[in-house]
Amino acid sequence: MNNKNQGYIFFSFFLILVVALTSCKHEEGEYHSIIDKIKNKSKNYHGVTLSSESYLGDDKMIKITEDGHTFLIPERKGKLKSFKCSECHSKPLSQINDEDLKKAHWDIKIVHANEKTMNCLTCHNSNNMDELKSITGKSIDFNRSYNLCNQCHTKQFDDWKGGAHGKRIGGWAPPRASLSCVNCHNPHNPSFEKKWPERYNSQKTKERK
Amino acid sequence: MRRLKVFVSLIKDSLDVITRGSKKYHLWMGFLTLFMLIGMYCYSFQLDEGLSVTGMTDRVSWGLYISNFTFLVGVAAAAVMLVMPTYVLKDIDFKQAVLIGEGLAVAALIMCLAFVVADMGGPSVLWHMIPGIGVFNFPNSMLTWDVIVLNGYLFLNISIPFYILFRHYQGKKSKTSVYVPGALLSVFWAVAIHLVTAFLYQGLQARPFWNNALLGPRFLASAFAAGPALIIIILAIIRTNTAFKIDDKTIKKLALVVTVAAQINLIMLISELFKEFYAPTHHSESAYYLFFGLNGKTALLPWIWTSITLNVTATIILTFHKLRNNFKFLFFACFILFVAIWIEKGFGLIVPGFIPGPYGKIAEYTPTIIEIGVTLGIWSLGAFIFTMLAKTAIEIETGKLRYKK
Amino acid sequence: MSEKNKKWFSLNLNNNSNKTSTSCGCGKTSGGCKTHNQEELDENVFFNAAVDASVGEQRPKDGIDQVFDVKMDRRTAFKKLTASLLIGAGAVSTSCSTLASDESKEKAQIDWEEQFKGNYKLMSNEEKEATVTRLVRSYQLRTGKTLNMSSVDAQKDVLYGYAFNISKCQGYMDCVNACVEENNQDRNSQMQYIRIHEMKDGKGFNFNESDDNYYHEVPAEGHFYMGTQCFHCDNPPCVEVCPVQATWREDDGLVVVDYDWCVGCRYCMAACPYDGRRFNWSKPEVPEEQINKNQHYLGNRMRKKGVMEKCTFCVQRSRAGKNPACVEACPTGARIFGNLLDPNSTIRWVLENKKVFRLKEDLGTEPKFWYFMD
Repeated sequence: MNNKNQGYIFFSFFLILVVALTSCKHEEGEYHSIIDKIKNKSKNYHGVTLSSESYLGDDKMIKITEDGHTFLIPERKGKLKSFKCSECHSKPLSQINDEDLKKAHWDIKIVHANEKTMNCLTCHNSNNMDELKSITGKSIDFNRSYNLCNQCHTKQFDDWKGGAHGKRIGGWAPPRASLSCVNCHNPHNPSFEKKWPERYNSQKTKERK
Repeated sequence: MRRLKVFVSLIKDSLDVITRGSKKYHLWMGFLTLFMLIGMYCYSFQLDEGLSVTGMTDRVSWGLYISNFTFLVGVAAAAVMLVMPTYVLKDIDFKQAVLIGEGLAVAALIMCLAFVVADMGGPSVLWHMIPGIGVFNFPNSMLTWDVIVLNGYLFLNISIPFYILFRHYQGKKSKTSVYVPGALLSVFWAVAIHLVTAFLYQGLQARPFWNNALLGPRFLASAFAAGPALIIIILAIIRTNTAFKIDDKTIKKLALVVTVAAQINLIMLISELFKEFYAPTHHSESAYYLFFGLNGKTALLPWIWTSITLNVTATIILTFHKLRNNFKFLFFACFILFVAIWIEKGFGLIVPGFIPGPYGKIAEYTPTIIEIGVTLGIWSLGAFIFTMLAKTAIEIETGKLRYKK
Repeated sequence: MSEKNKKWFSLNLNNNSNKTSTSCGCGKTSGGCKTHNQEELDENVFFNAAVDASVGEQRPKDGIDQVFDVKMDRRTAFKKLTASLLIGAGAVSTSCSTLASDESKEKAQIDWEEQFKGNYKLMSNEEKEATVTRLVRSYQLRTGKTLNMSSVDAQKDVLYGYAFNISKCQGYMDCVNACVEENNQDRNSQMQYIRIHEMKDGKGFNFNESDDNYYHEVPAEGHFYMGTQCFHCDNPPCVEVCPVQATWREDDGLVVVDYDWCVGCRYCMAACPYDGRRFNWSKPEVPEEQINKNQHYLGNRMRKKGVMEKCTFCVQRSRAGKNPACVEACPTGARIFGNLLDPNSTIRWVLENKKVFRLKEDLGTEPKFWYFMD
């Protein structure tokens, strides 16, 4: 009987071994890290057929190329309520004050950096109110107003060009469309107020059941 | 054809045996039936409204049901502690208790399956797991391994004793060439069922309380302590209430098994405590919560400290030969050891694995009445099945129940 | 279809003569199925449609014999067996009701077929479309409204990735609201896939002491915010442990759940290190007017109780080229989503130019959700 028992024991060990060896989890073509996978799979990247063109809505977009990044941003001049500025600002500011023109944006307070750095003339061109001007006096179109911001905020500008700063609109599929600086930040008061969150979770205190 | 006739006669006779008995027996069965009905009533709520009637939440998603399941797999595996000495070591002292042990394994396994089904969110679609018509994610998912080993073990523990009893029922001897291979296989299989169940938890890298190398061996040690402890108590009850003869020697040898297993279990506990508390890391949070409470959340403290006290007391009692051989002390020690390990494997293992959650949040778990009701119902089901099996087996083994041509 | 055929499949024992006998398949001992006579024609059409829906391209030829004589492999055999089970059992259940209308019979048939369909991952395109059709029709029968459910597969050359800018998040929770509305999550238990953790400055990423249940003005002084959700790991532990493969990683990287296949064992929930998965402990309810009717089978369609669900990166949106609802809703642009395989995408620029990290990297799960700061 002992031999028989031994035989059975051997057989069961063999069975266990076979089961263990064939239970290997790794499949063919599995990558050990996602970065390896991305590198390998992007080699044959042919582009996607999806497009986020249809999700852009009716807003007019302009295409810009900065530093190798090409993307769409909303066109700005058509959205400015009082464009063209020269329709009112035909004369120097001191002379307009006396006339009988309606008061428009006389009460803009600049809450942006400090008085030593910023006043109206830092960005606006008094000789041509329909355009902005850079630190060196070069004119900057209102549609390209980000060129003003990037004079000081170069780090955010780099991030924005790459896509890490700011809001993307449309969808993830090409073409890329992002909001420009002034679509979120009011250039005269760029920071954001505190507010209450959109939601209170009464259930989480009890733990979801 | 003849075998079929004998089988039918066996069924009829067993039904006869089961429905007849002393007043105590009828009271016991009636009591169990009452609790089974209560369990079914509670379960109907769960089927109706979903698992929200239990105390489980997104944070602690496994509770009383899976705790009991884990514990009972251990009890089922403990039958091997009777099978192995009988068939491998050829120790005749254990021979009488083997069938009782295997019957206990069957009852425990049925309880395990019942707890798993009770815990499912969609019991009506469990057919999805059947290979062929469903999808069986073997070998990736440890749950599928568990399904295989549990059902296999159930089959082994039904078929082998059934064969033996069937032969004895006809007054014939059972052939060793038929049941010994099965018995040997079941020895390995018993270790496998509890190791695989441990691997269910051990393989989850998301739960550091479970993700350690000692969980599997700890499961085995505690199973081999709690299971035979229960068998000792059951054998004592059978001795006093039926004509089935069980030698003192059998119980004393079993007690030795329980003692060694309980001692190993304690050593493993000390090892775990050392790992968690000598140089605590972030991963020790669960152990802190369990043993000392975290941030004022101390719900499990009374449970685990009772368990440890009972465990240590029982082990000490069992260690001393004089006390172990005194049956009054022995039965008391076995009882408190069983309770201690039930707590330790249930609330002391499953629930703290989930607390704190993946982002450190503590949400405590308290079972609801419905959960407790269903649990009691399933335990009663197990006791009911075991009583039926044991009574039939005893009647056959004592020679009272025989096939009459 | 011959008379003999109809009798077999629809158990429509043509007992014009003995209406009170027990020979009807529904087992009624008196009264019988009064629906035999007036509905014979409809059953024919209905049977054809049911066969079309379940068996698909294998259009049945005339006569039972030609169908049963076809040699087939085991998988087709199972398909046909299931199909005939669906048709036969469904027909039994529907034809044996005396008072039910046409609509409720169709609904019963749809429910029956839905109960016995297979795992979505293994379905052919026709089967996927069939199940979508059934679900849309079932909703229509129940509420009278239509859904727009898609079953579009993963596109080629797409691998979705996500980046979260911790400096930009101000704790507004617009993302949470958008997610709940987009994905038809249970309102009773306030299920949310996204959690926003408010943490104190100077303590590092101390999740233990973070507050994800705050309700005060944000951003609070001296605190920062970060959001977590399912990270769509590339080596997902939840996929490994599912016993029925009800959850899997699609080719475009999304980890999805087939809600009808899930058995509710919650093993995946135990396996997820990031609290990514949610369970429907009770029947999920969404007020009718708030239901998002643009759905995907694997995404935001209505779930039932006892099944798992999770963030799907809004599969109904992302597979159409749109951003997930959370990305769309965030007013600060803290959330960035895109195709990791496109070398010109913003997500790739972030991974290559910002200092990114992921949570619990040591667990080897390879999540596709990176965090960075300005």
